[in-house]
Amino acid sequence: MGLVLENLPGLVERFPGGSVAITRLDETINLARSNSLWPLMFGTKCCAIEMLMATGASHHDLARFGAEVARASVRQADLMVIAGAIVKKMAPRMRLLYEQMAEPRYVIATGSCAISGGPFMYNSYTVVRGTDEIIPVDVYVPGCPPRPEAFFWGLLTLQRMIREGETIREPGVRRKPVMSALPDGVSLQEIRREILAALVEENVVDVAKASATKPWARKVREWIQKNTSR
Amino acid sequence: MDSEKHLTLVESLYPTVQRRTQSDRPAITVECDRLLELMQTLRDHAGLRFDLLLTHTAVDYPDENRFELLYLLYSTVHGTRILVATNLERSRPVAPSVCGIWPIAEWQEREAYDLMGILYDEHPDLRRIFLEDDWEGFPLRKDYQDSYMLELPK
Repeated sequence: MGLVLENLPGLVERFPGGSVAITRLDETINLARSNSLWPLMFGTKCCAIEMLMATGASHHDLARFGAEVARASVRQADLMVIAGAIVKKMAPRMRLLYEQMAEPRYVIATGSCAISGGPFMYNSYTVVRGTDEIIPVDVYVPGCPPRPEAFFWGLLTLQRMIREGETIREPGVRRKPVMSALPDGVSLQEIRREILAALVEENVVDVAKASATKPWARKVREWIQKNTSR
Repeated sequence: MDSEKHLTLVESLYPTVQRRTQSDRPAITVECDRLLELMQTLRDHAGLRFDLLLTHTAVDYPDENRFELLYLLYSTVHGTRILVATNLERSRPVAPSVCGIWPIAEWQEREAYDLMGILYDEHPDLRRIFLEDDWEGFPLRKDYQDSYMLELPK
C-alpha cells in the first residue's frame, strides 16, 4: 500500500491508523491507463519480430512497463503497434481494426516502412507510403527495425503523452502534447556528430591494430616470414 | 554425381534439350512445345523420379523480348535437384500447365499469372492469387506503370 501511495500523483496526508489522499481524477485515471496498455497482436513484417516478440520475451521484458498483455482481438486492446509495411490490400483492414478498438486507443508506428514506406517508397506498386495516411499515429519510432530499447522509449513517450494530455471531461478528445522523442539533454546535432564519428572510425581499417589482439595473427605473420625468406 | 547421371540420361532421351553452362546447379533449357512431355518423363522415368516441384517462377527479359519460366524440381528418391527452363515470346506468353503432373503447380502458376501475366493452357482455375481481382496489369513486368507508383528521383 505504501508503494501505491508514494507513486500517486497528488497529496497524501498520513493520519494515525490510515492515510488520506487528495488527487485529481484525471491524474489517477491517466496513471492507470498509461501503465496498463494492452497491445494488439498485429505484425505485418520483420519489425514484428523485434517489436512484439523480442520485446515481449524475457530478455527485454515488455512487462516492466505494464504493456505485455498482447491481445488477439482489437476489442480487448487499446494499443496498436504497427510493425511493418502496410500494403494497399491491408490498408482497409487496418483501418477497420483501428475503428473497432475502443477509446481511448493509441497507435505507435515502428520502423521506416510504417512511418514513410521506407525502402518501398519508390517504384513500389503496393506499399502505403506512411500509415499516418490511413490512421492517426501517436508516436513514431524510427529504425529499420528499431532496437527494443528504442521501442521502449517510444512506449515511455506514449505513457508520458497519456499522463500529460488526457482528461475525462472531454472523452475522445486528446490534447496531444508535442514532445521530442529524444531523451533529456540529448540534441539532434549531438547524435549526428556521434554517428559521423562512428562511421569514420569504422571505415578506417587499421590491420596491424586490429590483428594485434588476435591469436591467429601471430601465426600468420610467422607463416609469411617463413615463406618469404625462402 | 547423381545429377550428372541424370543430365546425361535426360540428354539421351531428349536430344534437343540444352544443358545450361552458366548455372550453379544442374540446369537444362527446353523448347516450350516439348515442355509437358519432358516434365512427364522427368517425374515418371525410373531413373529420374523428380516427384517434387519445389518452385516455379518467371523472369522478364524485355531487351531480349522473352519470358523465361523456371521449374525447380527435386527427387525425393535420388535426393537430387534439377532446374528446367523454357522461353516464351513476350508478345504471346502462353505456356502449357503442369498442374496435371504436380498438383502444387496450380497455385504457383496462379502466382506467375498474377504478377507476370503468363497464361497457362488447361489450368483449372487461372485467377489472381495475391492482388485484387480487379487489378489492371502485371506488376512484376519490367515495363509496368501505375498512377500510384513514384519514380525514384535521379
